[in-house]
Amino acid sequence: MLLYSSLQNWLGNEWAWLISNVVSILLFIVVLLVMIAYILLADRKIWAAVMIRRGPNVVGAFGLLQSFADLLKFVFKESVIPAGANKVVFLLAPLITVTLALGAWAVVPVDEGWVFADVNVGVLYIFAISSLGVYGIIMGGWASNSKYPFLGALRSAAQMVSYEVSIGFVIITVLMWTGSLNLSEIVRAQAGSGGFWGWNFFSLLFPMFVIFFISALAETNRPPFDLPEAESELVAGYQVEYSSTPYLLFMLGEYVNIVLMCAMTTIFFLGGWLPPVEIGFLEAVPGVIWFVLKVWIVFFFFAMVKAIVPRYRYDQLMRLGWKVFLPISLVWVVIVAGYLVATNSYPG
Amino acid sequence: MAWLDRTARSILLADFASAFVLGMRYFFSPKKTINYPFEKGPLSPRFRGEHALRRYANGEERCIACKLCEAICPAQAITIEAEPRDDGSRRTTRYDIDMMKCIYCGFCQEACPVDAIVEGPNFEFAVETREELMYDKDKLLANGDRWEREIAKNLELDAPYR
Amino acid sequence: MTKIIIDGQEIDVPGEYSLLQACEAAGVEVPRFCFHERLSIAGNCRMCLVEVKGGPPKPVASCAQQVRDQRPGPNGEPPVVITNSPMVKKAREGVMEFLLLNHPLDCPICDQGGECDLQDQAMGYGIDEARTREYRRGVTDKYMGPLVKTQMTRCIHCTRCIRFSAEVAGVDEIGAIGRGEDMEITTYLEKAVTSELSANIIDLCPVGALTSKPYAFNARPWELRKTESIDAMDALGANIRIDSRGAEVLRVLPRVNDDVNEEWISDKTRFVVDGLGRQRLDKPYVRRDGKLKPATWQEAFDAIADRIKTTKPEAMAAIVGDLVSVEPVKALKDLMTSLGVASLDCRQDGAKIGGARASYLFNSTIAGIEEADAILLVGTNPRWEAPLINARIRKTWLRSGLPVARIGAPVDLTYDVRELGEDFSILSGLADGSHDAFQILKDAKRPLLIVGMSALSRPDGAAILAACARLAGATGMIGPEGAEGWCGFNVLHSAAARVGALDIGFLPGAGGRDVAGILDGASKGEVELVWLLGADEIDTAKLGNAFVIYQGSHGDAGAHRADVILPGAAYTEEDGIFVNLEGRVQAANRAVFPPGEARENWKIVRAVSGVLGQPLPYDDLKALRAKLVADVPHLATFDAPAGSPGADAALWGNVGAAGPIGGAPLAYAIDDFYLTNPIARASRTMAECSKLYVKRPLAVAAE
Repeated sequence: MLLYSSLQNWLGNEWAWLISNVVSILLFIVVLLVMIAYILLADRKIWAAVMIRRGPNVVGAFGLLQSFADLLKFVFKESVIPAGANKVVFLLAPLITVTLALGAWAVVPVDEGWVFADVNVGVLYIFAISSLGVYGIIMGGWASNSKYPFLGALRSAAQMVSYEVSIGFVIITVLMWTGSLNLSEIVRAQAGSGGFWGWNFFSLLFPMFVIFFISALAETNRPPFDLPEAESELVAGYQVEYSSTPYLLFMLGEYVNIVLMCAMTTIFFLGGWLPPVEIGFLEAVPGVIWFVLKVWIVFFFFAMVKAIVPRYRYDQLMRLGWKVFLPISLVWVVIVAGYLVATNSYPG
Repeated sequence: MAWLDRTARSILLADFASAFVLGMRYFFSPKKTINYPFEKGPLSPRFRGEHALRRYANGEERCIACKLCEAICPAQAITIEAEPRDDGSRRTTRYDIDMMKCIYCGFCQEACPVDAIVEGPNFEFAVETREELMYDKDKLLANGDRWEREIAKNLELDAPYR
Repeated sequence: MTKIIIDGQEIDVPGEYSLLQACEAAGVEVPRFCFHERLSIAGNCRMCLVEVKGGPPKPVASCAQQVRDQRPGPNGEPPVVITNSPMVKKAREGVMEFLLLNHPLDCPICDQGGECDLQDQAMGYGIDEARTREYRRGVTDKYMGPLVKTQMTRCIHCTRCIRFSAEVAGVDEIGAIGRGEDMEITTYLEKAVTSELSANIIDLCPVGALTSKPYAFNARPWELRKTESIDAMDALGANIRIDSRGAEVLRVLPRVNDDVNEEWISDKTRFVVDGLGRQRLDKPYVRRDGKLKPATWQEAFDAIADRIKTTKPEAMAAIVGDLVSVEPVKALKDLMTSLGVASLDCRQDGAKIGGARASYLFNSTIAGIEEADAILLVGTNPRWEAPLINARIRKTWLRSGLPVARIGAPVDLTYDVRELGEDFSILSGLADGSHDAFQILKDAKRPLLIVGMSALSRPDGAAILAACARLAGATGMIGPEGAEGWCGFNVLHSAAARVGALDIGFLPGAGGRDVAGILDGASKGEVELVWLLGADEIDTAKLGNAFVIYQGSHGDAGAHRADVILPGAAYTEEDGIFVNLEGRVQAANRAVFPPGEARENWKIVRAVSGVLGQPLPYDDLKALRAKLVADVPHLATFDAPAGSPGADAALWGNVGAAGPIGGAPLAYAIDDFYLTNPIARASRTMAECSKLYVKRPLAVAAE
């Protein structure tokens, strides 16, 4: 905003708007990617710690530069494109994945007013974008012209479709509870109660939090739902034929999606950028700090789940999605709606 | 009842909670792994690592080309050619070990009557080409010179049991 | 025959058997160091101790006791010998401990290690720890020449080497000095042992005191591939074992064959092997612009085919050398015959032999020498031409003291020889009985005549041969006056290939030239193409402008002059048949593959025949041998000498040709025992021996 106003006099409204937006988007992406670098490191470190290992600790102090070393490695490696692959689609797939994953962040508010597009249908936008993510995987799996990637892609598609249904119902309950599709509004709706007891987490929506969390794992192909990759059966699923930078983009997209899901969990249930207790000195801390802290805490659980839960079988995955989460979330929609009507407390 | 119990447990995420507690306990427990290139685990004096040809204290090579190691080598990794040296003593003109064939059984050092060929404590001899693993006499003698102190120590420690 | 009980087993053996031999006959193994079947009995190692019932209350050395001397039981039961009693074991262990007292524990650096009698028997009778802490005896190593390496601290004083040199080799140059612990085996003056059989003491030595010098530290017995084969260094056809590792022949050892070489071989046979790796022809060469250039087989074949197709058969010739087996000779003969070539010869030295088989064989057989009671040597030096025949004569001479006479230059043959002079015309005198030596031969029951190549290759060789046949008839060597089945007329060959080539008739055909004729024709330009199959002993300068094809293994005289070189296998590198001087057919086996592009000799000839469009009718060795046997039936019988020819007047009357015998003194054909063929000339060991044993006397004289 500061940039915008300083450029306004100089370049006029349109140019100032464009340039300040582009600059801040780039800034945001850089910060996000750096954070993802450390999320990745944390993922490996947490996993290692549970296994009583040390994890990466050679590159930089405590391995802090490990992700950057990996980045360099991926970039400088030779990119192998299988002879029978459809080159255009093959290279397009990781680009789509990473573009969609980053695009979703456009509507995510990291603090009061810190959002690129404060649209009123933010939730639907996120929902749509993350559903599109499956295309990247399917294209990658198909274009590799190889059986493992193909099977991995099919599994991934089925899995994402299945869990989006229950995510949809979870979002409906949140939507009913807060009365808005605007993500900033959803956060604001959780404020005002003086602290964390006002968050959706500590309301009737708690079961929905659990379902959303688990579905988010499935949606992002995290263990224990990493069946599309399933190293032990499909080698590495849809990524088998990828190497070098395209593979890096896939990985990046995946982790951006994971952080996105952490952010969504934070916004829907943990009060977004709100401090845990609304007293002076905690409110003085910038909201973005609280937001990032909450994202990290959610990610810690993501990582712990990876470390402690064994991988699901494919039929168990489908059973959980369709026969457990779908009925429960459906019923919960009714319960929440019934509660709101009965207490006549629905917002808006 | 069992069904109810199981369902209740799964709905209340009991297994996840207990696994999480267990995971956290391990999370903070001391790490079992060592920081390998900087720390190394203990090695037995009998550890059978990279081969070396030793020398006597006066610099004379120990190997007398008796070819017992060549004869006993189950992988036939050792090739020896011998000739009288200028002073008439029996010495090898060629002592090759194909480290790719070697199975590190240690028979060669057991067969050696003069403790010339030994498997030293070095296990870090990875190389980039296959050719580098075809050890010749110079390489083996250089190994011996480099590792002599450790090898001598190990032999001394193991001597009571031989 | 005497009955004796050995370890509870009653057997019947000749009374003169030693107890050790009786034990062997009973299948009981008795350890020994000093005892050797072919040497006199010494009885000084005491390892062969056995217990004899009723004998002295101590073990006795079984090698030195005869069966007939044993005391029978009280009721006339056969004497009892026990070899497995605790007393025997204890006694042998005691002997072994004494032997090991001063024997160094240097098996790892000892060349005998792995094939050492002491090592083997220490496994059975040794104890694992010395009971003494005293210093061990050390003995200075002795010089025994370029072939035998000594390490005298290892010696256990079995004296086998002394007995061998005194009895078999006939050179009293090894002996023992000092007594008890101070006893040392020595050559007295630190001189090389001057015998062609000296290296057999290496095999005899039961420990590592005497080992092979050229082979020193080269290999271990377990590394070697052992191939049983036949030697080609002389016409004797000694049975050998070729030890090779990889593509290299490392050593040659004798095999036991009582009819041929007993268990000795000459030093040349044993040590020529390093010549197999030097000076080898390993790819074809073709002479272009006056220089030999490496070529492919096809280029070489084309060059030959071009020449052969444009040359008249009368202008072509082939000469066979001394080292080739029968198969390539047969193939070459068939090829040349199909081309119409008649000028074939296998007698490089121009010996006037051929014709009836008995006229060029050693009819008495080698083992038959031992039955002879008078020997006449005609123009031969058996010590160099066939050292093992010389050893046989010496063996017979030692046993019976038979008279040996010689016509030819005096040479030390290790036994007493009556010199009849160098004038061969004396032969006619002998044959008609006017010479006093005639009576000795006439009185002998089994007289023997050995005529050598040195005499037969003289211009008057045919006359000498005829005179010899006449003498043989007159003295009852072959006639009805002699013993039944005895034939004492012997020709001593010096080339391994000769008898085989004569058998298949590689001789001038109708209108063909012999070796002298071929060389003569070549220098005059009448012979335009000469195929030399391993022939290096001819005077290559006389080949003139002829197109010379040399097929052989080594770059020697023939290859030097050749226009096309076809690299062939040496005798260790191909399967082949050799017929030895007594007509014994023996099979040599391939020990290693020929080097580089060299191929088996018969295959080369077969390939040339294919290029010429007249393929020989055999594609493998089996078919070639079938053809060989079909043409020459007696080659089918392996390992048996030719039978006695009997006194067929028609046969013996036609041997040689009548004519005057010149009075010129004889020059022996072999002037250097160690350098008689291309392989030997390529060998460093042989060169060293030649320098030491043959050339040195000249150097001394020059000083």
